[in-house]
Amino acid sequence: MLTSTVAAPPEHRPSRSTTASSLHRSDRRRHLLAGARAMAPWLLGVAPFGLVIGVSAARADIPTLAGWLTGPLIFGGSAQVATIQLLDSGAAPAVAIVAGLAVNLRLILYSATMARHWQGTPRWWQGLAAALLVDPTLAVGADGYGRAATPRQGHLHYMGGAVVLLATWVAAITVGATVGTALPDALQLELVIPLFLIGEIVPRLTDRATRRAVGVAIALGALGLWVPLHLGVLLAIGGGLVTALVPAGPGTAVDVEAGEADR
Amino acid sequence: MSAWIVVAAVGAGSFLFRISMLVVAARIGLPPVVERAAGHAVPVSFAALAAAALAEHVAAAGAVIAPAGAVAVAVVAVRRTGLPHAALAAGMPTLWVLTAVLPS
Repeated sequence: MLTSTVAAPPEHRPSRSTTASSLHRSDRRRHLLAGARAMAPWLLGVAPFGLVIGVSAARADIPTLAGWLTGPLIFGGSAQVATIQLLDSGAAPAVAIVAGLAVNLRLILYSATMARHWQGTPRWWQGLAAALLVDPTLAVGADGYGRAATPRQGHLHYMGGAVVLLATWVAAITVGATVGTALPDALQLELVIPLFLIGEIVPRLTDRATRRAVGVAIALGALGLWVPLHLGVLLAIGGGLVTALVPAGPGTAVDVEAGEADR
Repeated sequence: MSAWIVVAAVGAGSFLFRISMLVVAARIGLPPVVERAAGHAVPVSFAALAAAALAEHVAAAGAVIAPAGAVAVAVVAVRRTGLPHAALAAGMPTLWVLTAVLPS
């Protein structure tokens, strides 16, 4: 299914010779599937989170379909939760919009991360790839581009993971909105995502600057609980990045390229 | 009616965020400071999101030891195995066990 529905950007298409084309087709499938496989561990965390959001959408005082639409339209769990919770609590529409967008402001940074990989690709590809850009696709995509021999392989790896994530996310929200209300609260599924994020952070603590930045982000993220409009996460990310960019002393200069190569 | 408008507006705004730096990069190029910040985006953003979610859980559930123990076990599991998903595999059972055995 992935190979038939997802195409690589045209400028990376190979010659039309039969041999090259068949080789290319299997090569394309291989990279798409590699991206899908790389996304698989994320799905363990994403699926329960989607279930929880589906349940929230069904229980909130808004049309269930509107809550479900946050999945494909907003496509970011934290922003979806903020939007649904504020609508449910009767907040003014402007407040709900600002809060939802504030949580997703980090996507600008993600966009900057992927911009260097997507420059020179067609507009339709950039639009499609950007629409699927969120925490898991950033992690899987950045890793894929770091390992790929050519940009095209990186694009296929990214899209393979992104399509699987979108399908799983929408399916999980659908199940949560329809039958998920039967899940026991004792499972504490709300902790699935933070634990999974911890698993993604620990292997990346390869240099002092990153460790300092992560420490600051954790401290500010926890304290940010009391910041209104869900802006605490944004402040924590900003504080962490400033910490990473300001050298603390000799031997702490940030070598971003080296850090990425370590991943 | 307003719920539909809010969802559509947040969705549209989120897409603009996602595409924003692609447009900027195509026209004027990314400033070096943004390039450097982007290299730290994954660990810093994930740390902020994880800390906020854990703090919210602790505030709502009123229990600190069980989630803290789960986090500690998750970190050790990832460090020992080098596998990111070990955090989930070790952390969630730890959370359930500690929640069951510790007095509420």
